[in-house]
Amino acid sequence: MPPKNATANAARRKGPQFNPPRPVNAPSQGPAATKRAPAAKKPNAPAAKAGLQPAIEILASSDEEEEEDDFGQDVDSDDLMDEAPARNDAAPATPELAEPVVPRPLLARLLLENFDDPDMQIQTGAMKLVGKYVDIFVTEAFLRSKDERKASAKEGGIVDGFLQVEDLEKLAPQLVLDF
Amino acid sequence: MASNNAAVEREERLKSALWYSIGQFVDEKSLDSDLNATPQFIGALTELVYTQIANTARDLEVFSKHAGRKTINTDDVMLLGRRNEGLDRILEKELEEIRSAEGRRADGQPVARAQPAVAAGKKRGRPVGNGKAKAKA
Repeated sequence: MPPKNATANAARRKGPQFNPPRPVNAPSQGPAATKRAPAAKKPNAPAAKAGLQPAIEILASSDEEEEEDDFGQDVDSDDLMDEAPARNDAAPATPELAEPVVPRPLLARLLLENFDDPDMQIQTGAMKLVGKYVDIFVTEAFLRSKDERKASAKEGGIVDGFLQVEDLEKLAPQLVLDF
Repeated sequence: MASNNAAVEREERLKSALWYSIGQFVDEKSLDSDLNATPQFIGALTELVYTQIANTARDLEVFSKHAGRKTINTDDVMLLGRRNEGLDRILEKELEEIRSAEGRRADGQPVARAQPAVAAGKKRGRPVGNGKAKAKA
């Protein structure tokens, strides 16, 4: 291992930065995937759906969960009409992915305020992509805090179900390294 | 001094707006997972996200200047994901979607903005460097 590290600098850099969070990622994205899948499906937003499902495949490989959700919904809507609305109520987070975490006008403003050169411009497509990037960042921060909370509750910390600043403090360094 | 104060105030107002958006997002997500977040948590997260956006803005600016441009395009944004394979792939998917959406609008013509080199190159023949890179992205 050490000789390899010494020779392949690029590989080494990529490795440690990306690999350690994986254990963190895997559990944190599981719930994300389960939540995201129905979220993308229900509002019938094709853009959101197409955009998110690939992401889920990449991050969590939770295809089975998605499919189960699919089947569950189909069965419900075909056989039991009463159950379908109940399920919709159970997942009120649906609009979350259709509408961005940080509103686009606000994000554009934040970016423009932080450019050193006032003449700098940004294309619409690039703007959308940055929006996606920031949304992923915020979502990831939240999911990792959630994991951190669970972990510290297990270790006998405060168990009131309140996300604390300390949780954020613990995950922030790695999060920033990953983005 | 006055302009400095104004700048500080503008930053504070932008942060408040960001705080509101993030607060909404966190509250919504916490309800789903039977959790709750202290206001301090939301404040800290806001500060983190604000700093990240500021850094991103400076990165993007430097990237596009390095390429000799005055406008940030999608190539610059793709560089943001260079340290994280998963993130890179998500951004690539998103980019494809954005491009196909724009392509449809522009009557099947590849996007005018982001890839004029490809559009021009296809008519004339095969551009050696550009075509390869863009086709992959």
